[in-house]
Amino acid sequence: MSSYELLHRGLNAPICLTWEMTYACNLLCVHCLSSSGRRATDELNTAEAKALLDEWAAMKVFYINVGGGEPMTRPDFFELMEYAIARRIGVKFSTNGTLVDAAAARWISTTDYLDVQISVDGASSEVNDAIRGRGSFSRAWRAMELLAAEGFTFKVNHVVTRRSFEQLDALHASVTGMGGQLRVTRLRPSGRGRAVWDALKLTQEQNRRLYGWLRAHRDVLTGDSFFHLSALGAPLDGLNMCGAGRIVCCVDPRGDVYACPFVLADEFRAGNVRKSSFAAIWAGSPLFDRLRGWEVDGQCRTCGAFGRCHGGCMAVKHFTGVALDDPDPECVFAPDAGPTATIIPLNLHPRPIRPAPS
Amino acid sequence: MKRSDRIRLDDAVSLRPEAFGALGYSYRDRQLFFIDKRLLPFVESRGSRPLGEIADELTAGGVLQKDALPRLMTVLEGLRRRGVLHVVV
Repeated sequence: MSSYELLHRGLNAPICLTWEMTYACNLLCVHCLSSSGRRATDELNTAEAKALLDEWAAMKVFYINVGGGEPMTRPDFFELMEYAIARRIGVKFSTNGTLVDAAAARWISTTDYLDVQISVDGASSEVNDAIRGRGSFSRAWRAMELLAAEGFTFKVNHVVTRRSFEQLDALHASVTGMGGQLRVTRLRPSGRGRAVWDALKLTQEQNRRLYGWLRAHRDVLTGDSFFHLSALGAPLDGLNMCGAGRIVCCVDPRGDVYACPFVLADEFRAGNVRKSSFAAIWAGSPLFDRLRGWEVDGQCRTCGAFGRCHGGCMAVKHFTGVALDDPDPECVFAPDAGPTATIIPLNLHPRPIRPAPS
Repeated sequence: MKRSDRIRLDDAVSLRPEAFGALGYSYRDRQLFFIDKRLLPFVESRGSRPLGEIADELTAGGVLQKDALPRLMTVLEGLRRRGVLHVVV
Protein backbone atom coordinates (compact mmCIF):
# COMPACT_ATOMS: atom_id res chain seq x y z
CA MET A 1 0.00 0.00 0.00
CA SER A 2 1.38 3.44 -0.90
CA SER A 3 1.92 6.17 1.69
CA TYR A 4 -0.88 8.13 -0.04
CA GLU A 5 -3.33 5.29 0.54
CA LEU A 6 -2.16 4.88 4.14
CA LEU A 7 -2.51 8.56 4.96
CA HIS A 8 -5.44 9.68 2.86
CA ARG A 9 -8.02 8.27 5.28
CA GLY A 10 -6.44 10.02 8.23
CA LEU A 11 -4.42 9.03 11.28
CA ASN A 12 -5.09 8.74 15.01
CA ALA A 13 -3.24 12.04 15.45
CA PRO A 14 -1.88 14.63 13.02
CA ILE A 15 1.72 14.39 11.87
CA CYS A 16 1.83 18.04 10.88
CA LEU A 17 0.18 20.02 13.63
CA THR A 18 0.64 23.77 13.42
CA TRP A 19 0.00 25.73 16.57
CA GLU A 20 -0.26 29.44 16.01
CA MET A 21 0.40 30.70 19.51
CA THR A 22 -0.46 34.34 19.02
CA TYR A 23 -1.59 36.86 16.45
CA ALA A 24 0.82 39.37 17.95
CA CYS A 25 3.72 40.26 15.71
CA ASN A 26 6.28 43.03 15.60
CA LEU A 27 6.26 42.83 11.79
CA LEU A 28 3.40 43.25 9.35
CA CYS A 29 4.43 41.19 6.35
CA VAL A 30 2.37 41.81 3.23
CA HIS A 31 1.73 38.10 2.60
CA CYS A 32 1.02 36.96 6.19
CA LEU A 33 -1.20 33.85 6.09
CA SER A 34 -2.89 34.71 9.37
CA SER A 35 -3.08 38.51 8.91
CA SER A 36 -1.13 38.82 12.15
CA GLY A 37 -0.03 42.00 13.87
CA ARG A 38 -2.19 42.61 16.93
CA ARG A 39 -2.67 40.15 19.78
CA ALA A 40 -6.24 38.88 20.08
CA THR A 41 -7.78 39.54 23.49
CA ASP A 42 -9.10 35.98 23.79
CA GLU A 43 -5.96 33.98 23.00
CA LEU A 44 -5.40 30.75 24.94
CA ASN A 45 -3.77 31.51 28.28
CA THR A 46 -0.83 29.61 29.74
CA ALA A 47 -2.97 27.06 31.61
CA GLU A 48 -5.12 26.39 28.54
CA ALA A 49 -2.03 26.05 26.39
CA LYS A 50 -0.51 23.55 28.82
CA ALA A 51 -3.73 21.52 28.87
CA LEU A 52 -3.59 21.38 25.10
CA LEU A 53 0.01 20.18 25.19
CA ASP A 54 -0.96 17.51 27.74
CA GLU A 55 -3.62 16.30 25.37
CA TRP A 56 -1.23 16.19 22.42
CA ALA A 57 1.27 14.25 24.51
CA ALA A 58 -1.44 11.72 25.42
CA MET A 59 -2.29 11.36 21.72
CA LYS A 60 1.39 10.80 20.97
CA VAL A 61 1.73 13.79 18.71
CA PHE A 62 5.41 13.51 17.84
CA TYR A 63 6.10 17.17 17.17
CA ILE A 64 4.37 20.49 16.64
CA ASN A 65 5.05 23.38 14.29
CA VAL A 66 4.82 26.53 16.34
CA GLY A 67 4.10 29.83 14.63
CA GLY A 68 1.95 32.89 14.81
CA GLY A 69 2.23 35.85 14.63
CA GLU A 70 5.63 35.94 16.19
CA PRO A 71 5.61 33.22 18.85
CA MET A 72 8.53 34.76 20.74
CA THR A 73 6.36 37.76 21.64
CA ARG A 74 4.40 35.56 24.05
CA PRO A 75 5.75 36.11 27.57
CA ASP A 76 5.29 32.39 28.28
CA PHE A 77 6.98 31.27 25.05
CA PHE A 78 10.02 29.61 26.66
CA GLU A 79 7.91 28.09 29.44
CA LEU A 80 5.48 26.51 26.97
CA MET A 81 8.21 25.20 24.69
CA GLU A 82 9.98 23.55 27.60
CA TYR A 83 6.67 22.17 28.82
CA ALA A 84 6.08 20.56 25.40
CA ILE A 85 9.58 19.12 25.13
CA ALA A 86 9.41 17.68 28.65
CA ARG A 87 6.38 15.72 27.42
CA ARG A 88 8.29 14.42 24.42
CA ILE A 89 6.64 16.68 21.90
CA GLY A 90 9.32 17.92 19.53
CA VAL A 91 9.07 21.61 18.65
CA LYS A 92 9.75 23.24 15.32
CA PHE A 93 9.14 26.93 15.68
CA SER A 94 9.03 29.65 13.08
CA THR A 95 10.26 33.11 13.90
CA ASN A 96 11.11 36.30 12.09
CA GLY A 97 14.35 36.23 14.09
CA THR A 98 14.06 39.77 15.45
CA LEU A 99 13.79 38.57 19.06
CA VAL A 100 16.57 35.99 18.87
CA ASP A 101 19.35 37.43 20.99
CA ALA A 102 22.50 35.71 22.28
CA ALA A 103 20.65 34.17 25.24
CA ALA A 104 17.85 32.83 23.04
CA ALA A 105 20.39 31.42 20.58
CA ARG A 106 22.12 29.62 23.44
CA TRP A 107 18.80 28.26 24.71
CA ILE A 108 17.85 27.03 21.20
CA SER A 109 21.18 25.33 20.65
CA THR A 110 21.19 23.56 24.00
CA THR A 111 17.58 22.36 24.02
CA ASP A 112 16.87 18.86 22.73
CA TYR A 113 14.07 18.18 20.26
CA LEU A 114 13.96 21.81 19.21
CA ASP A 115 14.25 23.09 15.65
CA VAL A 116 13.97 26.67 14.50
CA GLN A 117 13.28 28.22 11.15
CA ILE A 118 13.82 31.88 10.42
CA SER A 119 11.69 33.55 7.80
CA VAL A 120 13.65 35.31 5.06
CA ASP A 121 11.96 36.28 1.81
CA GLY A 122 14.89 37.30 -0.33
CA ALA A 123 18.66 37.21 -0.48
CA SER A 124 18.91 40.99 -0.17
CA SER A 125 17.30 43.59 2.06
CA GLU A 126 15.86 45.25 -1.03
CA VAL A 127 13.76 42.21 -1.94
CA ASN A 128 13.10 40.88 1.58
CA ASP A 129 12.21 44.19 3.23
CA ALA A 130 9.66 45.09 0.55
CA ILE A 131 7.69 42.10 1.83
CA ARG A 132 8.63 41.79 5.50
CA GLY A 133 9.38 45.38 6.50
CA ARG A 134 12.34 47.73 6.72
CA GLY A 135 15.17 46.34 8.80
CA SER A 136 13.79 42.80 8.92
CA PHE A 137 16.48 41.34 6.66
CA SER A 138 19.40 42.51 8.78
CA ARG A 139 17.68 41.36 11.99
CA ALA A 140 16.98 37.92 10.56
CA TRP A 141 20.56 37.68 9.37
CA ARG A 142 21.78 38.61 12.84
CA ALA A 143 19.72 35.75 14.30
CA MET A 144 21.26 33.34 11.79
CA GLU A 145 24.75 34.52 12.77
CA LEU A 146 24.01 34.03 16.46
CA LEU A 147 22.72 30.50 15.85
CA ALA A 148 25.63 29.68 13.54
CA ALA A 149 28.03 30.84 16.25
CA GLU A 150 26.42 28.29 18.57
CA GLY A 151 27.01 25.59 15.95
CA PHE A 152 23.27 25.11 15.56
CA THR A 153 21.81 23.89 12.27
CA PHE A 154 18.99 26.37 11.81
CA LYS A 155 16.58 26.44 8.90
CA VAL A 156 15.64 29.42 6.81
CA ASN A 157 12.11 29.45 5.47
CA HIS A 158 11.74 31.31 2.22
CA VAL A 159 8.35 31.98 0.63
CA VAL A 160 9.43 32.16 -2.97
CA THR A 161 7.81 34.93 -5.00
CA ARG A 162 8.14 36.40 -8.43
CA ARG A 163 10.48 38.99 -6.90
CA SER A 164 12.77 36.61 -5.08
CA PHE A 165 12.90 33.75 -7.56
CA GLU A 166 16.15 34.86 -9.22
CA GLN A 167 17.79 35.01 -5.77
CA LEU A 168 17.26 31.33 -4.95
CA ASP A 169 20.83 30.36 -5.76
CA ALA A 170 22.26 33.26 -3.76
CA LEU A 171 20.07 32.52 -0.75
CA HIS A 172 20.88 28.82 -0.90
CA ALA A 173 24.62 29.60 -0.98
CA SER A 174 24.40 32.05 1.93
CA VAL A 175 22.32 29.80 4.16
CA THR A 176 24.29 26.63 3.55
CA GLY A 177 27.50 28.63 3.85
CA MET A 178 26.49 29.51 7.41
CA GLY A 179 25.74 25.87 8.22
CA GLY A 180 21.98 26.28 7.86
CA GLN A 181 19.44 24.52 5.72
CA LEU A 182 17.15 26.24 3.24
CA ARG A 183 13.41 25.55 3.14
CA VAL A 184 11.46 26.98 0.23
CA THR A 185 7.68 27.20 0.48
CA ARG A 186 4.80 28.27 -1.69
CA LEU A 187 3.08 31.65 -1.53
CA ARG A 188 -0.59 31.20 -0.68
CA PRO A 189 -3.42 33.67 -1.23
CA SER A 190 -4.41 33.31 2.43
CA GLY A 191 -4.76 36.15 4.95
CA ARG A 192 -3.00 39.25 3.64
CA GLY A 193 -1.51 37.03 0.94
CA ARG A 194 -4.78 37.40 -0.90
CA ALA A 195 -4.06 41.03 -1.72
CA VAL A 196 -0.60 40.38 -3.13
CA TRP A 197 -1.22 37.01 -4.78
CA ASP A 198 -1.45 38.30 -8.34
CA ALA A 199 1.58 40.52 -7.95
CA LEU A 200 3.83 38.05 -6.17
CA LYS A 201 2.86 34.53 -7.33
CA LEU A 202 5.37 32.82 -9.57
CA THR A 203 4.91 32.92 -13.32
CA GLN A 204 4.32 29.65 -15.12
CA GLU A 205 7.86 29.79 -16.45
CA GLN A 206 9.24 30.32 -12.93
CA ASN A 207 7.16 27.41 -11.64
CA ARG A 208 8.66 25.13 -14.29
CA ARG A 209 12.16 26.32 -13.47
CA LEU A 210 11.48 25.92 -9.76
CA TYR A 211 10.59 22.27 -10.29
CA GLY A 212 13.96 21.69 -11.98
CA TRP A 213 15.77 23.70 -9.31
CA LEU A 214 14.21 21.67 -6.49
CA ARG A 215 15.02 18.41 -8.27
CA ALA A 216 18.63 19.58 -8.54
CA HIS A 217 18.82 20.76 -4.90
CA ARG A 218 17.65 17.77 -2.88
CA ASP A 219 19.02 19.29 0.32
CA VAL A 220 16.37 22.01 0.15
CA LEU A 221 13.25 21.29 2.18
CA THR A 222 9.80 22.25 0.91
CA GLY A 223 7.31 21.10 3.56
CA ASP A 224 5.55 19.35 0.68
CA SER A 225 4.62 22.82 -0.63
CA PHE A 226 5.00 22.23 -4.31
CA PHE A 227 3.35 18.90 -4.97
CA HIS A 228 1.32 20.56 -7.75
CA LEU A 229 4.65 20.85 -9.62
CA SER A 230 5.22 17.09 -9.41
CA ALA A 231 2.87 16.91 -12.41
CA LEU A 232 5.87 18.01 -14.49
CA GLY A 233 7.72 14.71 -14.11
CA ALA A 234 9.30 12.65 -11.37
CA PRO A 235 7.62 13.53 -8.06
CA LEU A 236 9.37 15.99 -5.76
CA ASP A 237 10.49 14.65 -2.38
CA GLY A 238 7.62 14.41 0.10
CA LEU A 239 4.19 12.87 0.34
CA ASN A 240 2.84 14.84 -2.62
CA MET A 241 -0.68 15.12 -1.29
CA CYS A 242 -2.96 17.61 0.43
CA GLY A 243 -2.98 16.50 4.05
CA ALA A 244 -5.65 18.95 5.26
CA GLY A 245 -7.75 17.32 7.98
CA ARG A 246 -6.10 13.96 7.25
CA ILE A 247 -2.58 14.32 8.59
CA VAL A 248 -2.47 18.11 8.92
CA CYS A 249 -4.35 20.63 11.03
CA CYS A 250 -3.88 24.00 12.66
CA VAL A 251 -4.85 25.37 16.05
CA ASP A 252 -5.08 29.15 16.05
CA PRO A 253 -4.36 31.43 19.04
CA ARG A 254 -8.03 31.33 20.14
CA GLY A 255 -8.13 27.51 20.07
CA ASP A 256 -10.01 27.23 16.80
CA VAL A 257 -9.02 24.07 14.93
CA TYR A 258 -8.68 24.35 11.15
CA ALA A 259 -7.97 21.74 8.51
CA CYS A 260 -4.68 23.39 7.57
CA PRO A 261 -2.71 26.55 8.41
CA PHE A 262 -3.43 27.91 4.95
CA VAL A 263 -7.24 27.79 5.23
CA LEU A 264 -8.09 29.89 8.27
CA ALA A 265 -11.67 30.31 7.03
CA ASP A 266 -15.02 29.44 8.59
CA GLU A 267 -15.67 26.69 6.03
CA PHE A 268 -12.57 24.86 7.21
CA ARG A 269 -12.98 25.29 10.97
CA ALA A 270 -13.60 21.95 12.67
CA GLY A 271 -14.17 23.15 16.25
CA ASN A 272 -12.64 24.93 19.23
CA VAL A 273 -10.60 23.36 22.01
CA ARG A 274 -12.45 25.43 24.64
CA LYS A 275 -15.69 23.70 23.68
CA SER A 276 -14.49 20.14 23.15
CA SER A 277 -11.26 18.24 23.41
CA PHE A 278 -8.76 18.39 20.58
CA ALA A 279 -8.88 14.59 20.37
CA ALA A 280 -12.66 14.66 19.89
CA ILE A 281 -12.36 17.30 17.16
CA TRP A 282 -9.60 15.40 15.38
CA ALA A 283 -11.45 12.08 15.51
CA GLY A 284 -15.03 13.18 15.15
CA SER A 285 -15.43 16.49 13.38
CA PRO A 286 -17.80 16.18 10.39
CA LEU A 287 -15.47 18.43 8.38
CA PHE A 288 -12.45 16.19 8.92
CA ASP A 289 -14.55 13.11 8.27
CA ARG A 290 -15.65 14.60 4.96
CA LEU A 291 -12.09 15.54 3.95
CA ARG A 292 -10.84 12.04 4.73
CA GLY A 293 -13.29 10.53 2.27
CA TRP A 294 -12.84 13.18 -0.38
CA GLU A 295 -10.74 13.24 -3.50
CA VAL A 296 -10.50 15.88 -6.20
CA ASP A 297 -12.93 15.04 -8.96
CA GLY A 298 -13.61 16.67 -12.31
CA GLN A 299 -11.10 17.06 -15.10
CA CYS A 300 -8.10 16.26 -12.86
CA ARG A 301 -9.20 12.63 -12.73
CA THR A 302 -8.57 12.19 -16.44
CA CYS A 303 -5.14 13.85 -16.27
CA GLY A 304 -2.14 11.55 -16.55
CA ALA A 305 -0.42 13.43 -13.72
CA PHE A 306 -3.23 13.01 -11.16
CA GLY A 307 -1.35 10.26 -9.31
CA ARG A 308 1.52 12.70 -8.69
CA CYS A 309 -0.26 15.96 -7.79
CA HIS A 310 -3.75 14.78 -6.69
CA GLY A 311 -5.29 18.02 -7.86
CA GLY A 312 -3.12 20.47 -5.94
CA CYS A 313 -3.65 22.77 -2.96
CA MET A 314 -7.13 23.18 -1.50
CA ALA A 315 -6.27 26.51 0.16
CA VAL A 316 -5.08 28.13 -3.05
CA LYS A 317 -8.30 27.06 -4.76
CA HIS A 318 -10.49 28.29 -1.93
CA PHE A 319 -8.97 31.74 -1.71
CA THR A 320 -8.88 32.28 -5.47
CA GLY A 321 -12.55 31.31 -5.79
CA VAL A 322 -11.89 28.08 -7.64
CA ALA A 323 -14.06 25.01 -6.99
CA LEU A 324 -12.20 22.36 -4.96
CA ASP A 325 -12.77 19.83 -7.75
CA ASP A 326 -11.09 22.10 -10.29
CA PRO A 327 -7.35 22.02 -11.02
CA ASP A 328 -4.97 24.03 -8.85
CA PRO A 329 -4.88 27.65 -10.17
CA GLU A 330 -1.16 27.11 -10.72
CA CYS A 331 -1.63 23.78 -12.50
CA VAL A 332 1.43 23.31 -14.69
CA PHE A 333 -0.80 22.47 -17.63
CA ALA A 334 -2.75 25.72 -17.44
CA PRO A 335 -1.97 28.17 -20.23
CA ASP A 336 0.54 30.89 -19.52
CA ALA A 337 -1.13 34.01 -18.22
CA GLY A 338 0.62 36.24 -20.74
CA PRO A 339 1.14 39.76 -19.43
CA THR A 340 1.35 38.58 -15.82
CA ALA A 341 4.66 36.98 -16.71
CA THR A 342 6.13 40.45 -16.53
CA ILE A 343 6.99 42.12 -13.28
CA ILE A 344 4.01 43.98 -11.89
CA PRO A 345 4.93 47.20 -10.10
CA LEU A 346 4.53 46.76 -6.38
CA ASN A 347 3.07 49.23 -4.00
CA LEU A 348 3.64 47.40 -0.73
CA HIS A 349 3.96 49.00 2.65
CA PRO A 350 5.05 46.50 5.28
CA ARG A 351 5.51 48.10 8.66
CA PRO A 352 9.06 48.51 9.93
CA ILE A 353 10.05 46.51 12.98
CA ARG A 354 8.47 47.75 16.18
CA PRO A 355 9.11 46.72 19.77
CA ALA A 356 7.52 43.44 20.78
CA PRO A 357 3.92 44.07 21.80
CA SER A 358 3.19 43.52 25.46
CA MET B 1 19.24 -10.17 11.17
CA LYS B 2 19.20 -13.69 12.61
CA ARG B 3 16.52 -15.77 14.32
CA SER B 4 18.54 -15.69 17.50
CA ASP B 5 18.73 -11.88 17.59
CA ARG B 6 16.83 -9.94 20.22
CA ILE B 7 15.94 -6.37 19.28
CA ARG B 8 14.87 -3.17 21.00
CA LEU B 9 13.76 0.22 19.78
CA ASP B 10 16.18 3.12 19.89
CA ASP B 11 15.59 5.42 22.87
CA ALA B 12 14.94 8.37 20.51
CA VAL B 13 12.14 6.53 18.70
CA SER B 14 8.45 6.75 19.50
CA LEU B 15 5.65 4.60 18.08
CA ARG B 16 1.96 5.45 17.82
CA PRO B 17 -0.68 2.82 17.09
CA GLU B 18 -2.46 3.26 13.75
CA ALA B 19 -4.91 1.13 11.75
CA PHE B 20 -2.11 -0.27 9.59
CA GLY B 21 0.15 -1.01 12.58
CA ALA B 22 2.09 1.93 13.93
CA LEU B 23 3.57 5.21 12.85
CA GLY B 24 7.09 5.74 14.09
CA TYR B 25 9.13 8.89 14.57
CA SER B 26 12.80 9.26 15.27
CA TYR B 27 13.63 12.35 17.30
CA ARG B 28 17.25 11.84 16.25
CA ASP B 29 16.87 12.32 12.49
CA ARG B 30 13.31 13.76 12.57
CA GLN B 31 12.07 11.06 10.19
CA LEU B 32 8.69 9.31 10.16
CA PHE B 33 8.32 5.67 9.21
CA PHE B 34 5.53 3.11 8.90
CA ILE B 35 5.43 -0.16 10.81
CA ASP B 36 3.19 -2.87 9.39
CA LYS B 37 1.05 -4.58 12.04
CA ARG B 38 2.82 -7.92 11.39
CA LEU B 39 6.08 -6.29 12.47
CA LEU B 40 4.79 -4.86 15.73
CA PRO B 41 5.36 -7.97 17.91
CA PHE B 42 9.01 -7.89 16.84
CA VAL B 43 9.74 -4.16 17.23
CA GLU B 44 7.88 -3.96 20.54
CA SER B 45 9.57 -7.03 22.05
CA ARG B 46 12.07 -4.87 24.04
CA GLY B 47 14.76 -7.49 23.63
CA SER B 48 12.83 -9.97 25.73
CA ARG B 49 12.79 -12.85 23.24
CA PRO B 50 14.67 -13.96 20.11
CA LEU B 51 13.07 -13.02 16.79
CA GLY B 52 12.76 -16.70 15.80
CA GLU B 53 10.74 -17.49 18.90
CA ILE B 54 8.33 -14.63 18.22
CA ALA B 55 8.04 -15.68 14.57
CA ASP B 56 7.29 -19.30 15.48
CA GLU B 57 4.56 -18.23 17.86
CA LEU B 58 2.96 -15.95 15.27
CA THR B 59 3.19 -18.65 12.60
CA ALA B 60 1.64 -21.27 14.88
CA GLY B 61 -1.17 -18.87 15.69
CA GLY B 62 -1.88 -18.29 12.01
CA VAL B 63 -1.00 -14.59 12.32
CA LEU B 64 2.03 -14.87 10.08
CA GLN B 65 2.60 -16.93 6.93
CA LYS B 66 5.90 -18.82 7.04
CA ASP B 67 6.99 -17.47 3.67
CA ALA B 68 6.48 -13.87 4.88
CA LEU B 69 9.30 -14.14 7.41
CA PRO B 70 12.31 -13.46 5.13
CA ARG B 71 10.67 -10.26 3.88
CA LEU B 72 9.94 -9.10 7.44
CA MET B 73 13.53 -9.82 8.45
CA THR B 74 14.72 -7.66 5.56
CA VAL B 75 12.50 -4.79 6.74
CA LEU B 76 13.80 -5.19 10.31
CA GLU B 77 17.36 -5.11 9.01
CA GLY B 78 16.56 -1.88 7.15
CA LEU B 79 15.22 -0.34 10.37
CA ARG B 80 18.36 -1.47 12.21
CA ARG B 81 20.57 0.20 9.62
CA ARG B 82 18.58 3.43 10.01
CA GLY B 83 19.19 3.32 13.75
CA VAL B 84 15.51 2.81 14.55
CA LEU B 85 16.20 -0.42 16.40
CA HIS B 86 19.21 -2.22 17.82
CA VAL B 87 20.26 -5.82 18.32
CA VAL B 88 20.57 -6.46 22.04
CA VAL B 89 24.00 -7.80 22.92
